[in-house]
Amino acid sequence: MKGKGLLEGLWITLRHLFEREITIQYPEQMPYLQERFRGCLQFDYKKCIVCGLCTKACPNNVLSYESQPDPNSKKKLLLSYTIDLQYCMFCNLCVEACPTGTLYFNHDFELSEYQRDDIKIVYEIPRSAQAVISEPADSPIEMVDSSAEPAPQPDEDEAKKQKQINAMITALKKNPVKAVSKLVESEAQAQILADILQADEKKLVRMATMMIEDREKAGKVALAFVNKELKDRQQEGGAGNEPE
Amino acid sequence: MNLNDAVFMLLALITLGSALGVVASKNIVHSALLLVLTFLGVAGLYFQMNAGFIGLVQILIYGGAISVLIIFAIMLVMDVEPEKTNLPSPSLGRRLWGVYLVVLLIIALGASIWYTKWPLAISAVNSDEMTALADLMLGKYVVAFEVAAILLLVAVVGAIILAKGADDK
Amino acid sequence: MENWFVNIAHALTNWLTGLGLSAGWADFILLVVQWVFIIIIVTLNVIVLIWLERKISGFIQQRLGPNRLGPFGMFQTIADAIKLLTKEDIIPSATDKLIFRTAPMFFIIISVMLYVVLPMGENMVIVDLNVGVFYFISVGSLTTICLLMAGWGSNNKWSLLGAMRSVAQMISYEIPLAFSLLGVIMIAGSMRLSDIVAAQSNVWFIVLQPVAFIVYFIAATAELNRGPFDMPEAEQELTAGAYTEYTGMRWALFFLAEYTNLVAVSALMSTLFLGGWQGPFLPSWLWIIIKTYLVMIVFMWLKWTFPRIRMDHLMSFSWKVLIPVTLANILLTGIVLQLFKGMGW
Repeated sequence: MKGKGLLEGLWITLRHLFEREITIQYPEQMPYLQERFRGCLQFDYKKCIVCGLCTKACPNNVLSYESQPDPNSKKKLLLSYTIDLQYCMFCNLCVEACPTGTLYFNHDFELSEYQRDDIKIVYEIPRSAQAVISEPADSPIEMVDSSAEPAPQPDEDEAKKQKQINAMITALKKNPVKAVSKLVESEAQAQILADILQADEKKLVRMATMMIEDREKAGKVALAFVNKELKDRQQEGGAGNEPE
Repeated sequence: MNLNDAVFMLLALITLGSALGVVASKNIVHSALLLVLTFLGVAGLYFQMNAGFIGLVQILIYGGAISVLIIFAIMLVMDVEPEKTNLPSPSLGRRLWGVYLVVLLIIALGASIWYTKWPLAISAVNSDEMTALADLMLGKYVVAFEVAAILLLVAVVGAIILAKGADDK
Repeated sequence: MENWFVNIAHALTNWLTGLGLSAGWADFILLVVQWVFIIIIVTLNVIVLIWLERKISGFIQQRLGPNRLGPFGMFQTIADAIKLLTKEDIIPSATDKLIFRTAPMFFIIISVMLYVVLPMGENMVIVDLNVGVFYFISVGSLTTICLLMAGWGSNNKWSLLGAMRSVAQMISYEIPLAFSLLGVIMIAGSMRLSDIVAAQSNVWFIVLQPVAFIVYFIAATAELNRGPFDMPEAEQELTAGAYTEYTGMRWALFFLAEYTNLVAVSALMSTLFLGGWQGPFLPSWLWIIIKTYLVMIVFMWLKWTFPRIRMDHLMSFSWKVLIPVTLANILLTGIVLQLFKGMGW
């Protein structure tokens, strides 16, 4: 019969008129998420064995980590783990690759940030969790950080500081002379300091941390570095090697 | 002057004013729209004479349909700026001819109005003039009415054939 | 409760004549008062209607509709109205200014004029014309010109296309609209709306003239330029048809007029086919309001169910289906009426 389709359509809309609305008033009312919903990528540092499979599995180079060899065993020690979420396409490949279940997605989908840098999630492994790490004697940094509480996720202040430190590290790597020029008096000294920092990544990181946390101490340490370097150069006849 | 007169004056003013506008407007679309207003004014005059049905026919046919067709035709064939469509005729001779024709028309119409004997209210005005109209059209003059209808139908068919072309086989 | 408004009108007339005015002037002032009353009611009603339409469309699509302002989002339309009132009145430079400005005004005037003949309750009709139905049709046909004015005055090809479409559609659908009402008029034997209501005291005309009712419903939808016959506006292809260039309150006037027309047509439909103000228990004016709102809800239901119809289908549907059907309906009604007359009814 002609027109049957019209009546059918009317019946459908009439039924829908009395059905429950499927709209969710989002900010007040949270949506129901399926168990396997992929929200924010999380990292559980306690389980990580620093195998690096996740970074290899990631197609977008979202994941990166810093590690150092454990002097007591054959294992590696994790220093920091970075998830640059802005490139993540939530493909789940890293989660599948991880042999220990270190990586997982939680249900948090409100990932917007005001600053681009805030998108990056950085897990800084606390010192006390890093077992024994021997550092050069001229570095006062261990005393600063070793008392920190072991926390899988740094709290807000900590995170902010961490961010500043990261920014400083980037700055130091990019343009060291300019970044350190305020720490020392002359440009020649700045040049020397920059050379030192560029040659040794670990020193650079520590210097950056110090510059953020304690400016005065950083200045003193920087001066010590420069003096030592100058002395070394005098002894070795001006060779620009880094002191070992 | 009572209310009735005032209404008549207003309607006459609207009708004549817009009719003048039709002639004087330089924009042919404005002319056509003013023509609608003229039709509506005439319809108002019908209403005032208690001829509601005729007035409504005037609105429906002239105001709603014929004027739309006129505007349609103008819009479809017009390819110049609308301001230049109704150019006033420049030559004096033509204007004189126009004046002559208007005078002739006024004389003819006036004479016919003057010499016609208007039957003044033969019977009391029937409030239901529609019934009377229907009796006349579908009773006394049914043949003329139907012939006119057939004429219109032929015209419509002819227009369709002209527009679409007859299928010669 | 039944005679509230009638009593108010009587009291007003008595007061005016008591002031020393002649009966004619008192009637005139009463007419003006009724006119203003209609305009106020219509404007306020449109606010409710837009809210209702948005709510119904939301529910049909399983959304919530407006729900932020006031209970159930009822004040949303008021906020929209304030926004429209305070908006800048933009008149594009290349428009035909006079036509552009007057088109919405004429549109709303014509829409409000339709209410003059509608019986809004027992003894509640402003002018009980003996040609009420015909008045409604002929005055309603004038809206075509307004749309044409808007489309032409905007000097915009979408506007003009929308106007052309609406004119073609309205002229085509006026014929089945008028023809479908003829059946009702033939049975009632009068074009006076109060007579038609009175003729339905036993049986509603929707029972006697179901075909006419359906055809009238379809034709009225097309006349109102409502979905699924909203080709003249067709947001997806013509942006907004004849209303494209309009902003702020001028645009709102068109919107107002469209909803005003919707109410008028629904009221006429409930008067002609659904027994008008007749109904048990409740006062007559409440009955007509209930019936009108029911018809309007059906209009909205249709609009949010069916997709838009193509222009050529639209025209051929009118000329090849609706007009023959209505003509057959007139013929059948006439034959049956004559048969009953012959049987001595």
